[in-house]
Amino acid sequence: MLAYTPLRKLALLLALVGLVGGAALVMGEPFQPLTPSRETLRLRVGAPSPSPPPLSEAHMQNFSQVLNLIEQHYVEPKPSKEIIYGAIQGAVSALDPHSSFMTPEEFRELQIETKGKFSGIGIEITLKDRILTVVSPIEGTPAFRAGLRAGDQILKIDGKPTRNLSLTEAVKMIRGPKGSKVTLTINRPGFPAPKDFTIVREIIPIRSVKARIVEGGLGYIRVANFQDQTDQDVRGYLTKMHQKLNPMRGLILDLRNDPGGLLEQAVQVADEFLSSGLIVYTQGRTPQQNMRFYARPGQPGEDRSLPMVVLINEGSASASEIVAGALKDQKRAVVAGTKSFGKGSVQTIIPLEDGSALRLTTALYYTPSGQTIQDKGITPDILLKEPEPTDAKALQALREEAMERHMRGEGITDKPWNQPLTLADLEQDMVLKRAVEILRNWPPKIVAQQPAH
Amino acid sequence: MTHPGLATFFRRLALFGMLAGLSLALMAVPRPLSASPGPESYEALRLAAEAFYEIGQKYVQPKDEGELMQGALRGMMNALDPDSSYLTPEEFQEYQRGGRTAPAEAGMELIFKDHLLTAVSVLDEGPAARAGLRPGDHILKINGQLVRNLTTQEGMRRFQGPPGTVIRVQVLRNGLPKPLDVSLTLEPLPPPKLASRVLTGDYGYIRIPYFHDDTPAALAAVLADFRRRQPELKGLILDLRNNARGSLEQAVRTASVLVGDREVVSTRGRKGTESQIFRGKERDLALKKPLPMVVLVDQGTARGAEILSGALQDHGLATLLGEKTFGLCGITRAFPLKDGAAVIMTVAAAYTPKGRKITGNGLVPELEGKKPAPGEAPPVPPAVEQDPWVLQAVEFLRGGPAKAKR
Repeated sequence: MLAYTPLRKLALLLALVGLVGGAALVMGEPFQPLTPSRETLRLRVGAPSPSPPPLSEAHMQNFSQVLNLIEQHYVEPKPSKEIIYGAIQGAVSALDPHSSFMTPEEFRELQIETKGKFSGIGIEITLKDRILTVVSPIEGTPAFRAGLRAGDQILKIDGKPTRNLSLTEAVKMIRGPKGSKVTLTINRPGFPAPKDFTIVREIIPIRSVKARIVEGGLGYIRVANFQDQTDQDVRGYLTKMHQKLNPMRGLILDLRNDPGGLLEQAVQVADEFLSSGLIVYTQGRTPQQNMRFYARPGQPGEDRSLPMVVLINEGSASASEIVAGALKDQKRAVVAGTKSFGKGSVQTIIPLEDGSALRLTTALYYTPSGQTIQDKGITPDILLKEPEPTDAKALQALREEAMERHMRGEGITDKPWNQPLTLADLEQDMVLKRAVEILRNWPPKIVAQQPAH
Repeated sequence: MTHPGLATFFRRLALFGMLAGLSLALMAVPRPLSASPGPESYEALRLAAEAFYEIGQKYVQPKDEGELMQGALRGMMNALDPDSSYLTPEEFQEYQRGGRTAPAEAGMELIFKDHLLTAVSVLDEGPAARAGLRPGDHILKINGQLVRNLTTQEGMRRFQGPPGTVIRVQVLRNGLPKPLDVSLTLEPLPPPKLASRVLTGDYGYIRIPYFHDDTPAALAAVLADFRRRQPELKGLILDLRNNARGSLEQAVRTASVLVGDREVVSTRGRKGTESQIFRGKERDLALKKPLPMVVLVDQGTARGAEILSGALQDHGLATLLGEKTFGLCGITRAFPLKDGAAVIMTVAAAYTPKGRKITGNGLVPELEGKKPAPGEAPPVPPAVEQDPWVLQAVEFLRGGPAKAKR
């Protein structure tokens, strides 16, 4: 049985399923190339791994000729590192859209984001009417304890006006080393004058999982992305729900607009609901990239008598597709929503000598039934379309409305998990409402018609 | 070793680079600086070697090295500035045949910058303008294909071809939630028509949409026409917004019409090699008696238009109104490589007569153009008579409240 041997676990940690968009999520430690060393690679000759033909003399000469031309003739001296970063970036973009190069600074930022925690004060912020505004303070963080509230306007950070700051710049200024202080000048309706809040920074966990319960013994778990703590949080909510609902009668796992994240976490989340069998396998160029991941028994979500609906849409990608694909193929859950994005490649982070890194596509992955996800995506068992906004303006209006609700603490996942979703909440999200109906009228027709496995 | 791997190869490359650099340094006697790669460039080369090794070994499928190398060279040149490009042998042949005189085109000045293909300017009434494209638009896809690691040269070439060619583009525009899909048809472009009119009976307005060899004569003709008017005009408004097409020579000849034999622009390279001063010619001067002048500029004002604006500004002949210009007027040169490919590289920067560097910096107008309130930006360019910046310019020329800041 190919369960988790330590080596496999290491490989797992190192492999990652990248994101679709710009924001980035990555693996945890340790940051090492997937292959232990070049020497061992050479020893494993068994199957001839096709190696590219050597560079021609002409290529080599071109490269160094261009470098020399730049050094001699470019209008101003240019650090050679910048030029080489450009060269690596250019080479990588000749590969595929998911491979990329990260400068040391970009790589550091990525590590912060994937570790699932950072040092700051614990607020979500946005630009509302061009004013830096608190969306919500995260419960239990220094910002929450200091009394910051949703809707507070941040006029200054450490005395510096925020008027012309971008969101990224503001985030950078608010974050800082643990134990250091930041002063926010806050404007709030009811304040006679803006007031300073001085707050000590702490390690803030980033939660990728939120949950609610629904009348009738149902649970709702929303995974925003797959990072270091995701599986642990999913399991935590499952255990708490089992205790609170007793018995739990159904579960909705919401993976809509979840762009993916760590392969390891996708495998573990799928494993929460499966007791055996294949979850996913990968195929790459070298034998080390060919991995098979199997489920193990003993998790709280495995009981097949617990009906389950997985929600996906065209924004669900990579890690989300692994989970949806495994649960669909093993007939553990009914997958509902719209066809997923279709990103079926695995990226490995390869740190380079100077602290920069490559994010390189190293393998493709396949669902247990041997389906590639690349470009095809996961087709839902039950098609549930989100109501179409009539035009771009309506879409913008919808977004603003959702943001307003969120700032009033009235979004679907803004209340404590053990407070049941009301009918009014469900009216905000028609797809979720349909999913609840499916669970209440279990089993759905589509499953009843198929022979059970 | 029968199969020298990439790493070995790059080790050799690094060495080769060092040797080549050294020998060059020895040959070029009076310039001992910078020719030989120091420890810093050796480290950079080692990094490239490491990256290429990893890609060669671990990428999901074997990759053609020629393609990788081409990508690397493109990336390297793109890291310099938007005017510097790598050209494949085919692209270079095309370039030598005279890239600019394409039979038909879309009518846009595009640059590849920060990994994006962006329209600096969209030529008045050209196919792209009629399809609804605007300066500042980013081109995401061309005929369904994602734009990746292009160069400015190649980006421009994608929008040239036989007349009647239909090109589908996907465009990302600031402020729109979703990308736009538009189609445009390539057309042969006629020489630019200078638009001119007299506003409120007193002020002459001239728009140069882009520069052409005939522009100086056309401008002189408009000025002659203006001079015959009675009563005399009290001022001029020269509209150089959204004008990113114009060579240094065209700019200098056009400037002659307004500044006579004074200096228009100078260029300077890294080691003084490309230093040159460009002056106008007295016999070209058409504006014999200077009139108060406002030049309208914006982010789409680049290259020749910046040279002209800078000269007028520095000689105290005009006040600039609008927003900061693009800062795109480097002097480039093509360097052929051994395999028939070439690099186009910025070898000198352009400076205004008073020595301000335009390349990379742009020009800052004395008068900031009024910004429309958010959500109020007009969907179509307004008629000249209603154009807010034109109105602002007229007000300034009348000596109204819009006084210069400096």
